[in-house]
Amino acid sequence: MKGRVLIIGLVAALCLLLAAGAAFAADTIKVTAQQPITGRFAFAGKHIHQGLADSLAYANEKGGVGGKKFEYIYEDSGYDLKRAVASFKKMMAKYNPPMDYGESTGQGKALAPEINSRYHVLYGSTSFSQELADRKKNPYMFVSGPTYAQQFGILLKYIAAHPKKKGQKPKVAFFYSDTEFGRDPIPYAREMAKKLGIDVVAEEVTAVGAVDITSQLLDMVKAKPDYCIFQGYVVPPIPAVIRGARDYGLDTTFMGSFWAMSKMLLGKLGKDGEGYMGVNPYAYWYHDDVPMIKDIKAFNKKHHPDVDYRPNSYMQGWFTGMVFVKLSEMVSAKGLPITGENLMKMIPQVKDWDTGAFAGKISFKHSNATAVGKVYKAKGGKFEPASDWIYLD
Amino acid sequence: MHVGNFKETYAADEAVFSTPTSRFWLGVLLAALAVFPFMAGDYLLYMADLTGVAVIGAVGLNILTGAAGQISLGHAAFVGIGAYTTAILTSHLGLPFILCLPLSGISAALFGVMVGAPSMRMKGLYLCIATLAAQMIFTFLFVHWESLTGGIRGINVAPAEIFGLKLNTEFRLYFVTMPLVVIMVAGARNLFRTRVGRAFIAIRDRDISAELMGINLFRYKLYAFAASSFYAGVAGCLSAYLVKVVTPEHFPLHESVRYLAMIIVGGLGSILGAIFGAIFMTMVPEILQSCLGLFQGMSERVMSFLFPLQTVVFGLLIVLFLVFEPHGLAEMWRRLKDYFRLWPFEY
Repeated sequence: MKGRVLIIGLVAALCLLLAAGAAFAADTIKVTAQQPITGRFAFAGKHIHQGLADSLAYANEKGGVGGKKFEYIYEDSGYDLKRAVASFKKMMAKYNPPMDYGESTGQGKALAPEINSRYHVLYGSTSFSQELADRKKNPYMFVSGPTYAQQFGILLKYIAAHPKKKGQKPKVAFFYSDTEFGRDPIPYAREMAKKLGIDVVAEEVTAVGAVDITSQLLDMVKAKPDYCIFQGYVVPPIPAVIRGARDYGLDTTFMGSFWAMSKMLLGKLGKDGEGYMGVNPYAYWYHDDVPMIKDIKAFNKKHHPDVDYRPNSYMQGWFTGMVFVKLSEMVSAKGLPITGENLMKMIPQVKDWDTGAFAGKISFKHSNATAVGKVYKAKGGKFEPASDWIYLD
Repeated sequence: MHVGNFKETYAADEAVFSTPTSRFWLGVLLAALAVFPFMAGDYLLYMADLTGVAVIGAVGLNILTGAAGQISLGHAAFVGIGAYTTAILTSHLGLPFILCLPLSGISAALFGVMVGAPSMRMKGLYLCIATLAAQMIFTFLFVHWESLTGGIRGINVAPAEIFGLKLNTEFRLYFVTMPLVVIMVAGARNLFRTRVGRAFIAIRDRDISAELMGINLFRYKLYAFAASSFYAGVAGCLSAYLVKVVTPEHFPLHESVRYLAMIIVGGLGSILGAIFGAIFMTMVPEILQSCLGLFQGMSERVMSFLFPLQTVVFGLLIVLFLVFEPHGLAEMWRRLKDYFRLWPFEY
């Protein structure tokens, strides 16, 4: 009997809790998310999730938008497309949010037709894929930074402006993995190099996390590139390639795009990391002169006192939150209700939005990606700016 | 209360559903399946469609592994062949769903026969490794035969169309998936009542005795591979339309292992087991996920501990099932039925 009373009590308490949650949820701007907190992408997913959550909480502390607060609702999707789509559908039915955040390029591609025709929800994601930034095909989707292709464009522009030997065409090698992530920007990069007068002297392809890279290294020794850009890797085989190249006496400058620009990689590279370069659309945790970084640090000190570092994937989540807030503000300023459709219409209208040196001046001009980034160079285990913001269009 | 089951004719003895009670409950189940889409939302319908695809795949693997005793680690590759066949036929040739569905099954079956060929010389673990090789080879082809498969990016699949009606919602797709599940399951059930099906079981139980009885081992093993892959191909076709994009990432080795887990957790060799297993493997992670939702407000540190836990709990559940009920969910179901057959007069 006692047990039964306890169970009834518990159920009643749970119902009350849920009801309270529902009452609280009544007048908020809902942002739902399928986050890859476990699974293959967890190394970044958990930080992206925290960045987005914190960014929206930060906006709430500043008063929200139009008197309304953001409510962040998320689920772990385990980097599994079917689970992510299921979770998306569940959340759409339950909360009907104006904004959603997805876990992968695949999820965006799978949901694109339905987002256009049925769900009409503003959709950000972990992806930097070109396909999702195509405004004509996917007007509701945006990329929280430059696409991989644009990142290559930024690096190539930097290379064209900094030739190693004056008066000679810079020689570049592309070193990429045999995945969508690796191959995505390559056709564009070839074209861009031609346009900028850069010679692509080698293209090396490996499996992700390849161990034996001897043949690629020998090929590089033959081609002697001034710069080598990695794409489609997070850590391996980058350290092995850089060390191998040093052993062969190459003085190539190695570069990476967003995922290969982490503190984790620099840690693995150790001494060989000195001089490693790459593109990142956001400022780093230790760039204390950036006002937004100051705010981020203050926010973390207040809410997560035991945190002493946040990686660039956290910044990606944070920046996505800023875009969500910015678009909501724009809709609200026009006196319109915050719906997916109204938010979508605002994307092309974002022009020269100053993010306070955190991510440059943002415009979504020709595509739903920002087309801006900064080139950084590693010095003493930290990335320091090697250029100003480089704009592509 | 059900007291006895007397059969007076051979026909009654051979009936699939031999008692009025079982026919009644089957009717209830079918009625429930028919009413379900009108009560459920998008999410539940999507899960139902996913489960349906998994059931067809698992029932297919159950023919090969459960009934004929040939362990396969390449089932996901056959599902992939079905999915790619559909994607290629619709995007390159514009064939309609009605044609894609059987063609996907047939193309998977043809490849199944090819992969099954080594079973003439190999059995047990050796055959298992041969199927593993098939899994690897097909995954490689999906990635590298770019002109046909679209490489890593894969192929986007437009919604299926039947008689001018676009199957672009879960609701509409359900009315294709669920009847197909019923047909495919009924087909598998009836397969085991034919000479071919009984030959499979004979081969599984003792291949030498089966051969002595006049069963051509090689031919029947190939039949088993063909039938199993046909089911996989149909599942692949449906999954292509459901997920709307086909990429190599959807058919990795661990998907093959997941199918094996389905039929083992459900109960090897039992069709009901394959169905239960497919439901279990599809729904339990979702349920665990929903349980986690109750903890949303917890701190970052607690959550970073809880999230990986769902995988651990899922794994643990599978292990516990196997420890306490090696014959799988189907056996638990049988015991439950036995209990209620005499209920409330237990002794």
